Amino acid sequence: MRQARLTVLLTLGMLAFTGNSTAATAPTDAIKYRKAVMSAMAAHTSAFSLINFGRVEHQDHLIAHVDALAALGTQLKVLFPAGTGTGDTDALPLIWQEPEKFGQLVTASEKSTAELRAAVAAGDKAATMKAFKAVGDSCKGCHDRYRKEDD
Amino acid sequence: MAARPGLAAGSRTCVALLLCLVASAVAAASAEQLARGRYLVHAGGCISCHTADRDGAIPLAGGRRLETPFGIFYAPNLTPDRKTGIGGWSDTDFSAALRHGRAPDGSPYYPVFPYPAYAGISDADVAAMAAWLRSIPPVHNPVPAHELPWYLRSRWLMLGWNLLFFDPQPFQADPARDKDWNRGAYLVRHLGHCGECHTPRNLFGARDDSRELAGNAAGPDGGKVPGIRQDREQGLGRWTLDDMLLFLELGMLPNGDFAGSSMSAVIDDNTSQLTGDDRRAIAVYLQSLAPLDSP
Repeated sequence: MRQARLTVLLTLGMLAFTGNSTAATAPTDAIKYRKAVMSAMAAHTSAFSLINFGRVEHQDHLIAHVDALAALGTQLKVLFPAGTGTGDTDALPLIWQEPEKFGQLVTASEKSTAELRAAVAAGDKAATMKAFKAVGDSCKGCHDRYRKEDD
Repeated sequence: MAARPGLAAGSRTCVALLLCLVASAVAAASAEQLARGRYLVHAGGCISCHTADRDGAIPLAGGRRLETPFGIFYAPNLTPDRKTGIGGWSDTDFSAALRHGRAPDGSPYYPVFPYPAYAGISDADVAAMAAWLRSIPPVHNPVPAHELPWYLRSRWLMLGWNLLFFDPQPFQADPARDKDWNRGAYLVRHLGHCGECHTPRNLFGARDDSRELAGNAAGPDGGKVPGIRQDREQGLGRWTLDDMLLFLELGMLPNGDFAGSSMSAVIDDNTSQLTGDDRRAIAVYLQSLAPLDSP
């Protein structure tokens, strides 16, 4: 009986401990996660463009890539928590100095990705082309302002 | 007698008609020249440097801050404002500035201005660029003085630099290569002056053309600039022609990432504005550059 109680207590303690550690993500891991999501977005963009510009077939895959882009795009705004501007990152301090402007640009990129998704879903090639350029411009716009280019 | 007024009126009409014809011919030629000039100013990358790096900056009105190993330079105002821009410059002034790095008063510019590359721009292209720059609205925008160490403050020192490192040569097409390659060479080496960032520089800030376009560890704004020869690691060896075309048009790298920083301005103001043929010419030329560091 006593042993059972101890087990329960220990389990609760461990749960509490695990809970604590997820609440305080290490900045290094937050940066790692941000990079992983960014790379995933890049990979979908690359795959999308290979189809979009007729270099491979798989027209039917287009929607999967743009769905993924749109879903990942909505995560961007929570990927830059305070304290993740130093260490192994190319993110510039300006992100945390002008959160409003940064938020506007992220929202604009979500919007352009949603438009791309709609164009693909409608099977409208000309609109897809145009929307893809707009998505690219929104990526470029943020990288230009908020990312250190070193290589 | 009765015939004279008629004759006179007839010849007046003739003269007027002739004048109209001449005037419209001149106007037509210059509209074409202006369009060409506008295109060339974009292809020459003038806008990326001569526009301040802030929201709402007026294109070509100057003020962009360039941090270099030699000090901080502020790009001048290229609008035709007489006080703060290049208003009142003759074609000769413009050509001397662009291709010889000389201000209208004869003083030399610092080679942060890419006149060593621009030296190969053709006469017709220089004239068209000057004509278009003259046609844009003048903007009064005084630009700060360069912030340089004391030993570099005299522009006249650059006469020595020119003597050592500047050998202006007109562009010579290579008859053994095709039209695309030659057009690409002109755009990459002269008008587009890619080597000003992508080629490393020596101790005196002169391009080391033995490593042309092989990458530059100390680029503008302190960044590392990648090589764009056919090296597989430090260059474009793994890129296809289509990869290059997409990058020059949209700024997308083959891995789906988008360029930022200095290159994003080059894409926005220069390469994305080019015709598809000119982008292709650039790619064809770059693909012909043998790797330097990897077999």
